[in-house]
Amino acid sequence: MLEAAGGVEALLLLSVLGGLLGLDQTSVGQTMVSRPLVAATLAGAVLGEPATGTAVGVVLELFHLVVLPVGGARFPEPGPAACGGAAAAVALPGPEGLAAGVALGLVWAHLGGATVTLLRTWNGRMVPDPTADRVTAAAVRGSHWGAISVDFVRGAALAGTGAAVGLLVVPAWIGGWPLDARATAGLLATAVAFPVGAFLRMFGGWRRHRWFVAGGAAVGLVLVAVA
Amino acid sequence: MDDGTLPGDPRTPGRTGRNPGGREIPRSIRWRLFLRSLSIQGSWNYRTLLGTGAAFVLLPLLRWLHGGEGDALDEAVGRHAGLFNAHPYLAGIALGAVARMEAQGAPPEMVERFKAAVRGPLGSLGDRLVWAGWLPACLLAALVSWFLGAPYWVVVTGFVVVYNGGHFALRIWGFRVGLREGRGVGERLRDTALPRIGDVLGRVCVLLAGILVPLLVARGPALDGPGAGVPLPWIVAAVVAGAAGLWRGERVKSGAVTAVVVAAVGFLMIGWIE
Repeated sequence: MLEAAGGVEALLLLSVLGGLLGLDQTSVGQTMVSRPLVAATLAGAVLGEPATGTAVGVVLELFHLVVLPVGGARFPEPGPAACGGAAAAVALPGPEGLAAGVALGLVWAHLGGATVTLLRTWNGRMVPDPTADRVTAAAVRGSHWGAISVDFVRGAALAGTGAAVGLLVVPAWIGGWPLDARATAGLLATAVAFPVGAFLRMFGGWRRHRWFVAGGAAVGLVLVAVA
Repeated sequence: MDDGTLPGDPRTPGRTGRNPGGREIPRSIRWRLFLRSLSIQGSWNYRTLLGTGAAFVLLPLLRWLHGGEGDALDEAVGRHAGLFNAHPYLAGIALGAVARMEAQGAPPEMVERFKAAVRGPLGSLGDRLVWAGWLPACLLAALVSWFLGAPYWVVVTGFVVVYNGGHFALRIWGFRVGLREGRGVGERLRDTALPRIGDVLGRVCVLLAGILVPLLVARGPALDGPGAGVPLPWIVAAVVAGAAGLWRGERVKSGAVTAVVVAAVGFLMIGWIE
């Protein structure tokens, strides 16, 4: 399965991609290429199936709509994790690939969030103490670049291990998948409906924006019928 | 005495400070400050938050003001390495203003008071405008287009280009406003339309989410694009799940949702649920 997906080179590329995505999540740029929609597409492209990656990214994105990277909040990190999700979806043909990719992406996102917490704690020990008698420019430069470097390695490790699990472990573990494509779509739609509902509540939900919600739903129903 | 002017302020001839008359920050320094601001969160930590990052961003300016490496530079760096926080896209407002204040020789206490005063407003404004406004609006537009059958590369490229158009416009505007207004940037911010834009974006998000829900429930996701249709029992289940999320979603941690999903998928894979 690893050879079919591009071999060790693909894993290395995914690791580098994961490192860059990890940086983009918080440390450098924040251009949101680390959002699962983009990250999974890029990972899928590395493995030769960008559209598959996008499908995984769409579902992961729906789960993470409610996650706001506000200040010191602790949250899952879906960017590097999406590499593993895309890898699992590429490795498994059929609807089980999408389900497995989403499940792996969700688990790895929480793992990623835990590593972000560890990184920030580590950074706190590494940066110069502002209350110290002397804080040198060299110490500021060194600790800042050091933190960025560690973040890259963290993201790379996360994406690399996730991709390895997705390409090698998940296909070996699966015993069967009882749902067809439509039922799998239904399962995933049900799963993401909860966080999408929570997302609406974040903005005040039905009470505050009932006309916007209803209007949007009406437009959506029309689009379902005609598009 | 705080009469709103700074030592060396051309409005108060005869007063001098560390940099009499103020110094025009060279364009190359301004560029370096802006580019470094893209990495201000690089050393984010629970102790100083963005403090070390802010000091890192200001280093080229401080080195220029204090004649290179040495005790004067280290003293200036130490002042800026303390606690600081702001939304990363709006931090340039504060840093641009601080850069101007430093170039004009503002007393350190004045700079510190300014930084302490702006960090809260810049944080909350940015969170409302970007994390709860521009970002979800762009994501929802992309997701709606995917469920309508747009090619994956159109969806992804469109999101990246449109989102970052707004992103960098905000960063560049904020940095320029900070550099131009200096200490008076707070008043300038009060006159901007940013809070109202944040409110409008919130409504756009709700509208787009409303459009997305029927598409999601009726079509569902599939590997090669939006699905061909979700069976009725699953539509009912999705509507119930969505209503539950709308009713109680904020009380359920994302970890719990993940655990349920992974358990369901895992059991199905192993064959425990038929």
